[in-house]
Amino acid sequence: MADNTGMSDGIKRRDFLKVVGVSGAGATLAGCSTGEVERLLPYVNAPDDITPGVSTWYTTVCDGCSAQCGMWVRTREGRAVKVEGNPNHPVSEGGLCSRGHATLQHLYNPDRFSGPMVREGDVLRQGTWEEVEALLAAQLGAANGVMFIGGRMGPSLDQLVDTFVTAIGGTRVNYDAVSDAPLREAARIAYGGSGLPRYDVENARLLLSFGNDFVETGSSPVAHNKGLARMSAADPAGSKGRFVFLGPRLSLTGQNADEWIPIRPGSEAAVALGMASAIADDPSAAGPYANVLQSYTPVTAAQASGISEDAIRELAERFSAEAPSLAMGPGVGAHHRNATAANLAVMILNHVAGNVGRTVYYDAQVSGASSSYADMEGAIAEMASGQVGVAMIHGANPAYSMPPAAGFAEAFAQVPYKVSFASAMDETSAMADLILPDRHFLEAWGDSAPRAGVMAIQQPVMQAVPHFESKQTGDVLLSVATQLGNDPGAATFFEYIQARHRAAHDPATGDFDTAWRQALRSGVAAQTAATGPQPELQVPDTALDFAVPLFDAPGDLTLLVHPSARFGGGEFSNSAWLQELPDPVSKIVWHSWLEMNPVTAEARGIREGDIVTVTSAHGSLDVPIWLYPGIREDAVALAMGGGHTGMGRYADGHGVNALTLLPSVSEQPSGGLVTIATSVTVTPTGERRRIATIAGSDDQHDRPIAPAVALADLGQDHEEDEHGELRELQGVGGFVPVPAEGGGAAAFPLEGARHGEYADAHEGPRWVMAFDLDKCTGCSACVTACQAENNVPWVGEEQVLMGRDMNWVRIERYYEHVDATQAGDLDIRFLPMICQHCGNAPCEPVCPVFATYHTPEGVNAQIYNRCVGTRYCANNCPYKVRVFNWYRYTDDIPEPLNWQWNPDVTVRDNGVMEKCSFCMQRIREAENRAALEEGRDVRDGEIIPACEQSCPAEAIVFGNIRDPNARVTQIISSERTYRALDELINTQPAVHYLKKVTFHDVASGEHE
Amino acid sequence: MATSSGLLASYEYLDSTVDAIEALRKAGFEQIKAYTPYPEAHIEAALGYDQSPIRVWTLVSALTGTATGFAFTVWTSVDWPLVVGGKPMVSIPAYVIIAFELTILFGAIGTVIGLFVLSRLPSIKPPVVYDPEFSSGRYGVYVEAESARLDEARKIMNDQEPVELREGEGEADA
Amino acid sequence: MGIATDPTPRGALAHPDVENYDEVNRDVLRALETPGKGWWALLGLMVAGIGVFFGAWGWQLYKGIGVSGLNSPVGWGVYITTFVFWVGIAHSGTLISAILFLFRAPWRQSIYRAAEAMTVFAVMTAGLFPLIHVGRLWHAYWLIPYPNSRFLWPNFKSPLVWDVFAITTYFTVSATFFYLGTIPDIAAARDRATGLRKKFYQVISLGWRGTDQQWHHFGKAYIFLAALAAPLVLSVHSVVSWDFAMTIVPGWHATIFAPYFVAGAIFSGVAMVITLVVPMRKIFGLEAYLTTKHFDAMAKLCLLTSLIVLYAYMSEFFLAWYSGEEIERTAFWNRAFGDYWWATWIMLTCNGLVPIMLWFKRIRHSIPAMFVISIFINIGMWFERYVIVVTSLHHEYEPFAWGIYRPSVTEMCILFGSFCWFGFWFLLFTRLLPPIAIQELKEVMPAPMRRPRTEAH
Repeated sequence: MADNTGMSDGIKRRDFLKVVGVSGAGATLAGCSTGEVERLLPYVNAPDDITPGVSTWYTTVCDGCSAQCGMWVRTREGRAVKVEGNPNHPVSEGGLCSRGHATLQHLYNPDRFSGPMVREGDVLRQGTWEEVEALLAAQLGAANGVMFIGGRMGPSLDQLVDTFVTAIGGTRVNYDAVSDAPLREAARIAYGGSGLPRYDVENARLLLSFGNDFVETGSSPVAHNKGLARMSAADPAGSKGRFVFLGPRLSLTGQNADEWIPIRPGSEAAVALGMASAIADDPSAAGPYANVLQSYTPVTAAQASGISEDAIRELAERFSAEAPSLAMGPGVGAHHRNATAANLAVMILNHVAGNVGRTVYYDAQVSGASSSYADMEGAIAEMASGQVGVAMIHGANPAYSMPPAAGFAEAFAQVPYKVSFASAMDETSAMADLILPDRHFLEAWGDSAPRAGVMAIQQPVMQAVPHFESKQTGDVLLSVATQLGNDPGAATFFEYIQARHRAAHDPATGDFDTAWRQALRSGVAAQTAATGPQPELQVPDTALDFAVPLFDAPGDLTLLVHPSARFGGGEFSNSAWLQELPDPVSKIVWHSWLEMNPVTAEARGIREGDIVTVTSAHGSLDVPIWLYPGIREDAVALAMGGGHTGMGRYADGHGVNALTLLPSVSEQPSGGLVTIATSVTVTPTGERRRIATIAGSDDQHDRPIAPAVALADLGQDHEEDEHGELRELQGVGGFVPVPAEGGGAAAFPLEGARHGEYADAHEGPRWVMAFDLDKCTGCSACVTACQAENNVPWVGEEQVLMGRDMNWVRIERYYEHVDATQAGDLDIRFLPMICQHCGNAPCEPVCPVFATYHTPEGVNAQIYNRCVGTRYCANNCPYKVRVFNWYRYTDDIPEPLNWQWNPDVTVRDNGVMEKCSFCMQRIREAENRAALEEGRDVRDGEIIPACEQSCPAEAIVFGNIRDPNARVTQIISSERTYRALDELINTQPAVHYLKKVTFHDVASGEHE
Repeated sequence: MATSSGLLASYEYLDSTVDAIEALRKAGFEQIKAYTPYPEAHIEAALGYDQSPIRVWTLVSALTGTATGFAFTVWTSVDWPLVVGGKPMVSIPAYVIIAFELTILFGAIGTVIGLFVLSRLPSIKPPVVYDPEFSSGRYGVYVEAESARLDEARKIMNDQEPVELREGEGEADA
Repeated sequence: MGIATDPTPRGALAHPDVENYDEVNRDVLRALETPGKGWWALLGLMVAGIGVFFGAWGWQLYKGIGVSGLNSPVGWGVYITTFVFWVGIAHSGTLISAILFLFRAPWRQSIYRAAEAMTVFAVMTAGLFPLIHVGRLWHAYWLIPYPNSRFLWPNFKSPLVWDVFAITTYFTVSATFFYLGTIPDIAAARDRATGLRKKFYQVISLGWRGTDQQWHHFGKAYIFLAALAAPLVLSVHSVVSWDFAMTIVPGWHATIFAPYFVAGAIFSGVAMVITLVVPMRKIFGLEAYLTTKHFDAMAKLCLLTSLIVLYAYMSEFFLAWYSGEEIERTAFWNRAFGDYWWATWIMLTCNGLVPIMLWFKRIRHSIPAMFVISIFINIGMWFERYVIVVTSLHHEYEPFAWGIYRPSVTEMCILFGSFCWFGFWFLLFTRLLPPIAIQELKEVMPAPMRRPRTEAH
């Protein structure tokens, strides 16, 4: 088990050699089934041949969501083992979210189709590609009425599909359960362009989010997450951007706000317009929307939102005063019946505050095809009425991601011949007659235009996983088109893409091949300067209703259905990593939960863990209650992504599908799916269950774990007096004496406590890490990154219920101040807790067999082979960061998921303790490379642990504290630096935290 | 000692046993051995015992234990230095416990060995002169003498009215 | 000349109803004769229990330690609780035997053999639990100090290694002490037995004759062993307590632990002796040897240790409050009123309230009452360890990492089985070795004199 990384299982020697040949001298074969020669270029200088044990890196584009972040992929012996953010990519700038990491598990998803499938009666039989392509061609040739239902796709494929569908006289519909349609439509109405507005979050001084969950979902989570972190980070000058969240429920984004204004669901437009009218001296400032502005005032806003007029007025004043400000309209998590109007209202607010062109840009260029729920309603009608002979589905799963009320399944069943391009089984493909499994994006060619002016190439980073005979949809369409007698102008999709880019290439900038090679190297093809002059507000071409929408009766609680931070709309659900990733808000894994305010619950005699029946006019669900002070008392919330029935072993049977409760309503005029549409009644079933959460207490009991400092107190000397001695010592050794009462300080540092005696002999590095809690947004990307890098197993719901989650990183979430009844300060603290690598590690001396000890480099090493499993170290760890292998969890990992294992990291055995190692394998790799290739010491920044690499918020920094110029040394010289519990128990951790900075006075979190 | 042989008397009463032994010793008999069902101080006194050398065994072995305890722990800590919990490589306070336990262990084992050596245990030789009653309620006195003085011994022993008096042939086991 | 015999009135003797030496042999050795149905039934039950014990253990080895209810943060649970419990039980044996021997306590003789046997078997039971507890049993031998292939020795700074030394030493010394003290009685048994049994006793009596020379060295050796065992008794449970006290876990890290644990150990140990000798006394008709005098003495020892333990509980709570330290306070508040409040209150009731009855002479002199109380104490002392181990761990420094521990069926089977394992050995003992120290009883009985007692020489 321990070395499941060789050619031993799965990979056939022939394939192995082929892959080796592939990367030879950078000229490589991506073994497509069609097998032409194509060029893959590794990011770093390619070795002459794959050296076993040396990784090769490729750039590509993450196709996980519409954000299209840049990716680096680390391959070992021809298999992708880790994905990371590409720092050169203008969108993500090196960050990558949990979902991005989890795409690896979709690549090796054991539930992928083993090959093309043909339905015979009730069973699917595997066919050959030649056969199925012929079949499809025949069907398309014969059929009357062809419909192509497509999800999100890159520009080239998008064009190919268009030409293909037009050529065969079919119709095309795009559907994406989680789409920005209302925002897009609002932008079109207001400014004409068909693109999404681009937000410059980083440079806003006051950021308003009207229920926009831009950190976890929305158009570009990583970029916006990074922007928020940079904006809200206090700069040395003691200035810090302020973030105000307006919405009925605190999403992860909301939890990061400095203030929470818990407005009624649907009242965004009223509030935005009320503020706008307060800001604008006279309504004409709103141009064509002057009349709208006239009918709104802070008073009407207050009535609509349930927030005091003063609060709104005061907020409006600050919004115009603290320029540049930025307001973001309702996002994918807040689509009610008037979502477009609400977004438009926010655009008006930005307009009157003069933010257009400063923090918000309206780019003319189209970015990605707009998808529309309304179109789907049309499509369903056609299918139901038998006008569709052949339906093709690509990148969408409407059978799951549309409310059952829409009747997709029934209509789809009417279609005589159903074709799916899904690479793995899902609810829709289960009904298909023909399945032509697509490649995973890490095996396939593609391109992406995430936003205006940015174009990137998605190149295959490895041969198609040999367990699955997949073929890229682009290639399928091309060959089918040829069989149908149309000339697509290219033999392979690779040629097709290259041709497009060659055509678009400007010869003035040099020869295309060089540019192309460069594009593959850097991961970015084209990057033109952002935008020219900003468009002016246009006269609306459709009627808009800015009023608070109605919610379907009956019911006394508004149901807030929102995309999951982990599963999006449910397309990510079949990943064990994401299933076991504690939800950033609730910290619950594997199952669904209904969020309810404790006050509401108490009034109804409901306790946490009670299983309740949630009933709307459209359906009902049984789901356990999770009490959450961050939601209005008149609302309950349910996340999408649960309750799959035919998607795979990790998705099926976990949680419930929130869409079941929704009516089939499309938002007007955008046509997007309305997710906040109905009221519900909540009645206890009388049954209870334990919540599978990793959260112990949400209150830090005044312990010095996640303290904060008020902005006003920054740079004040009283801090200095108290900790001056500590801080000046922190620069040199990292481990500093505890200021004890009386002459205690003289007794420290203890003999050998700083580095251990043997380390005093030579001046080796001292590894330390710093977490800036002012930046950390709790997005949990580091958790998945760590899990992927360090072969951390998942354990399943049962084990988590027993308290045995294995993650090495625990994002602790403490409520300090949360008030759902009125506008006011919000203080929720995030603290990434990993092994603190203590100088005086309590875990070390208690181990009877030296399985854990202190290395000369200051790392608290865990020697798995020595471990006997007494668990004494875990008991004595005050931070509770040691996790134990209660079973041989890796036994349950099926082929080919184990292909993802990092060959540089031991797979732990049953009965041993494990914990964060500071990514020791990366430290060694960097040190060896520096020593062997250039005979020098490793430089600062060369060693980047998985968590730091992934962190979209740039909150994590790792380095050698003995180097006075190291980034980490610089950072922890901050007055905000502290070490968890250190002054209490003198553990002398190597992990430093920088206190969160708040605008309000800090009440608790400081230890007396 | 081929010429010598022995007499075994078993008594019912403690005082008579003691008197017999004392009388015999007064008469100059040296080879006297007593059997008792329990450790009887009076008889030991009558036979004129002094301190048992077993204390030396205990002391020496116990001290060996102490030394071993410290030497071993210190040596192993220095032999492969691994810093744990920022503690000194050689942490004497912790090693005191090991030393203490070894002191006790070695001391106890040494004592038992001493006992076995000194009291000729375990002895597999079959008992030549012995009476099962000695482990129950009787006291026994066995005396060895040249045949010439045997009658004298018999007389002294009979004075104390033994329950039984018999000729123990050959040499008694120690 | 001769002996100055003290004219002791029989009433003042430890065993007034025992006439002479032969009677002692007869009565005690009767216990070794062919056992009755009851004994076989009990033995059968124990063997069955041992089956459960090893069955559960095997299951755990096959599946992994995960079949227990343990988790993070509660890495120690029923196994360690039971380990400490049995080590505690093991204490009174050597205490009664060695310490009371050194102090020449007159009531020791008739119970110490059973107590010592209990000690040995209890250590044999306790010793299994660290093995049951570790995640990789097949590597547990790495705790033994031997030069492994890389010449890495155990970490002598670790309290667990101290444990290894303390427990093995304790087992060796107690077993030796027990066996040595039994040799003369085995000889006595040998002299009455016949056939196969005689052979058996001949071998294990090592050819003891009871000669003056043997008795002489034996006595000295016994005293020295007792002198060595006495501090050992105190040290062993201190070391066990340091498994906890040496950590930084709130609720464990306390200087009071060593004396507190030792007192607790003696408390539970004496209670267990009572639990064992009451039925033994009845079954083997040893009423004349185990008189109310003995139970009274043991009751007083229980009472004393119970008060010490109760004081320890109280001072722990007081100091937690007095420290003003939030984490300490939370830990102890949680102990009394948190998720495991019931365990704490069982502990306080059984160890603090119930023993109060021992203030009354009538109860101390009622054997059934003593039996019942002793069982309460056993339960209470098990829960004391459970409270210390579990409640301290489940709410530690890091509030977000707080958790709950629920013992699993496997753990319960092993707990139950351990009692059977212990009982099995004890039953064998009662049939194979004289359950009461014959030769020492004789020591405290008036020696038979030919001359009338009154007359002094």
